[in-house]
Amino acid sequence: MSKNPGTRREGLIKRAAYVIGTLLVLAGLALAYVPQSSRFAAKGPANTGHEKLACTDCHKQSPGTLRQQVQAEVHYQLGWRETNPAFGHDKVSNEQCTNCHARDQDAHPTHRFLEPRFKEAREQLGAESCVSCHREHKGVRVTMKPTSCATCHQDLALKNDPLDVTHRELIAKAQWSTCLGCHDYHGNHKRVTQQKLEDAYSTKAILNYLAGGSSPYGQDLKFPARRGAEQ
Amino acid sequence: MTRTIFNRFGFKGPFALGFFVLAAIYLFATRPAPLQAEQASGRTVPVETVFRIVAAENDVARKLWTADIVGAGTKAGLKFHEKWREPSMEAGPLPALFLREASTALQKTRVPLGLFLGSDFPIAQSNRFTGIQADHFANLRKTGEPEFFNATDIGRFTAIFADRAMAPGCVTCHNEHPNSPKTDWKLNDIMGATTWSYPKERVSLEELVQIVGALRTSFGAAYDAYLAKVATFANPPEIGDKWPAQGYFIPDKRVFLAEFERRASSNTVERLMLSIADPKAASASATR
Repeated sequence: MSKNPGTRREGLIKRAAYVIGTLLVLAGLALAYVPQSSRFAAKGPANTGHEKLACTDCHKQSPGTLRQQVQAEVHYQLGWRETNPAFGHDKVSNEQCTNCHARDQDAHPTHRFLEPRFKEAREQLGAESCVSCHREHKGVRVTMKPTSCATCHQDLALKNDPLDVTHRELIAKAQWSTCLGCHDYHGNHKRVTQQKLEDAYSTKAILNYLAGGSSPYGQDLKFPARRGAEQ
Repeated sequence: MTRTIFNRFGFKGPFALGFFVLAAIYLFATRPAPLQAEQASGRTVPVETVFRIVAAENDVARKLWTADIVGAGTKAGLKFHEKWREPSMEAGPLPALFLREASTALQKTRVPLGLFLGSDFPIAQSNRFTGIQADHFANLRKTGEPEFFNATDIGRFTAIFADRAMAPGCVTCHNEHPNSPKTDWKLNDIMGATTWSYPKERVSLEELVQIVGALRTSFGAAYDAYLAKVATFANPPEIGDKWPAQGYFIPDKRVFLAEFERRASSNTVERLMLSIADPKAASASATR
């Protein structure tokens, strides 16, 4: 005796559900266990120069097994342990960035912003952390606004100003988008700083660079990244 | 039996009890080795003691660089300049910049000790104290004694120590610099302060040794940077056992660090021993 059409449709739906469910489970397992598939789990495209990095270059495994982490968390909740353990992966820290981008000289090293007086820079920009300005998985080079210099340099006054239009004048007119036209934030390019405002790189060129485009500061770097990432 | 339990207590009660029993076995009875805690264990010293030790070490390094390298070197024909890093400049770092080199190198050691130099009258405006640091520096100016406080927003215990004009070169350079906001400095004036920070209130003895080791590594790295620069000079001084006081010479890294250790170690070891034997006495001794 043949099944009625309703029962047959239900059977098909069930089978389709089993197939879809199995595929979803397999996809989940692939994401978890096949290293090459981890790219699909990323929040977005890698930033400029980071395209060839493996996820684990930045996302380090938290110490201990899952069971140890659970145990430590219970201890922490019971007040038997002072620090809250991390689960799965550690938070990406400056350490991961400086593994490739270590520099003996830096005009704005992150550690400098751990000095108490830079409270404003920490609160407004998070300047003590690399990823505050270089938020990853955005497909760009820099996510910081090019006018962020205003946070710290409002009271800049130079006794012997080398620029033809004084820095005080530019600050008075709030022309903060001109700063990066002459100064690269980390000072990692071998170049001579302009002394005439008309020689400054255009805001368009700077925005293009921050978005991942070519560098107006040139390609000659004082401290190139170790793994070939562009800076 | 099982049915009797479920009939009497219902399903949820025994199920929850069973869950907690299994969780307790999982977490406690058959527990794995505990995850290593980040906090200090064993014998510890207050971070204030650590700050006093590293500040004393830094004083020795600064005096050695300022007097024996910069002061004597200038007389011997060596040059030291604020733009010493520029390729065209045949010069070494001025004392404040030597400290900055050490501070940068310190970060690379991964020991979370922070070291900064600032003032209320700095040559570079970006080094001017503001906020909580300015308040504590004002106290330090009055008393000459170090200040200790907790920078809560960054979770760092902090100390500031007076930085004095220890050599005639400090006074003349700062008084004659075109960007100096103060031009009447005198020898032994408090010209600024070093700021030290560390994320823990108490530090194990092992950590303390690591901190001192990291600081010394940083002084060595700062000296390495100078030696690397010297290697680019058209007429480099002879590098070896001799010092600039003997002529156009500079010591190699081994000799430089050996002299530093000779001057710094007895004081540091004494404070370490006291901190083990009697933490209160160590704290009192450290103020000497």
